[in-house]
Amino acid sequence: MTESAIVVKNLSKKFRIYHERRNTVYEIITSFFNKKKYYEELTILDNVSFEVNKGEIFGIIGRNGTGKTTLLRLLSQIYKPDSGSIKINGSLVPFLSLGAGFQLEMTASDNVILYGKLLGFSKKEIKNKLEEIIKFAELEKFADTKLKNFSSGMYARLAFATAVQVNPDIILMDEILSVGDIGFQKKSHDTFVSFKEKGKTIVLVSHDLKVIRENCDRVMFLNEGKIVDIGDPEQVIKTYVKIFNQ
Amino acid sequence: MNFARRKSIIWDFAVTDLKIRYRKSILGFLWTILEPLLFLSVLYVVFTNVFENKIEYFALYLLLGIIMWNMLVRGTQMGMNGIISRSGLLTKIYIPTSIPGISSTLTALIMFTFEMTVFGVFLVAFQFIPPYTIIIFPLIVILETILIVGLNLPLSVINVRVRDIQFIWNIVLHAGFFLHPVFYKMEILPKEIQNILQFSPMVKILNFAHDAVLYGKLPTVQDSLIAIIGTLFVLGLGYLVFRKFSSRIMEEI
Repeated sequence: MTESAIVVKNLSKKFRIYHERRNTVYEIITSFFNKKKYYEELTILDNVSFEVNKGEIFGIIGRNGTGKTTLLRLLSQIYKPDSGSIKINGSLVPFLSLGAGFQLEMTASDNVILYGKLLGFSKKEIKNKLEEIIKFAELEKFADTKLKNFSSGMYARLAFATAVQVNPDIILMDEILSVGDIGFQKKSHDTFVSFKEKGKTIVLVSHDLKVIRENCDRVMFLNEGKIVDIGDPEQVIKTYVKIFNQ
Repeated sequence: MNFARRKSIIWDFAVTDLKIRYRKSILGFLWTILEPLLFLSVLYVVFTNVFENKIEYFALYLLLGIIMWNMLVRGTQMGMNGIISRSGLLTKIYIPTSIPGISSTLTALIMFTFEMTVFGVFLVAFQFIPPYTIIIFPLIVILETILIVGLNLPLSVINVRVRDIQFIWNIVLHAGFFLHPVFYKMEILPKEIQNILQFSPMVKILNFAHDAVLYGKLPTVQDSLIAIIGTLFVLGLGYLVFRKFSSRIMEEI
């Protein structure tokens, strides 16, 4: 039997969708006299159970708002489950959005160091890798430029180059492979392949069915918080397209 | 998340805040020093010419009071916004909710040490040699730091749910400035008001600092205990409120 990297059991998560958000003292006081319910509970994930094997590339597909990002945030401990359990075997790094925590007022080098440390590097490790990262991002000329003067492509490249330096057992990716121009996309694809070769476990959320089909070992299709289908990519994508076309 | 990681993130946040704060303005770093100095000169003129006061070494008394009070103001104002201003990051990478409040306290503490060097210059200018009791001053600063952490923990999470806590807290700080012995001595207040105010750990902290740095007096055991217990009480209560409010905070942000 293969070992599991991630075991999710009966996971549920509800969110409050506010009709009108009450976040002033006045509103909270008046709400004592006005007992009308001002939010609805929306079930984002409903009793979801699945396992991800070690060394597997696991795709998650589904329409917007079906709980894909919520699931990744739960896996990375940012949200807490309402019920159910999540077990992670090994170190995990979420790439939910690139360059979270980048500071526009600071230079590219400073940001790489800061971001690298947030992703779990020691200061020394990240300083040793700095040159390599800047080179990978093709930003040698701009290492000392403040980030506010960067184009969005440069920004994304820098973030991607830093993020791929981390060496965790499990990687969560939310739509980040389509960053930069064609040349850089090739690079990021190569990086992805090298992760694969090193035997990393990757959970990949994408709307790009081509990416999913080409890379994933297994795919899970989420709809309205429930697992519709899980298994062979071709099979699951077929189900997805069928439901989508209804 | 282990302790070393937490420590390194707290430090990184604090340093980033400082860098950004100073890079945005032309005078940059100088503002930390200029701000209390300008405020000092206003108060000094008012309280030596307009009102009468009998405080010995009044300029130094005032400057020390302002610097100590400023640390509380800055620390809690930054700490209160700590989670909101980093919401982009906190919803992408798991970082314990307590960290922004603690790192803001550290930022305030670092700025405080910058300002204390100005105080040092003033000591030289006034040719004032501090009494030996100044050695306990770092302990007083540690006490204030703990107090700020105790306030930041609850303020930072409440602010996510109840945004106007900012305005309320700013009013508290304004009132506090006049109700604390920053530019006067507690003795001039009526006894009843003094009895109420002595429950504020900040009153004791200011008194201790003035006495130790300027007048060569050590705090009594009784006063020290009141101050320490009061500070720990704020920290404990703050932590309980923080615990209550911090569940589901990332979902609400």
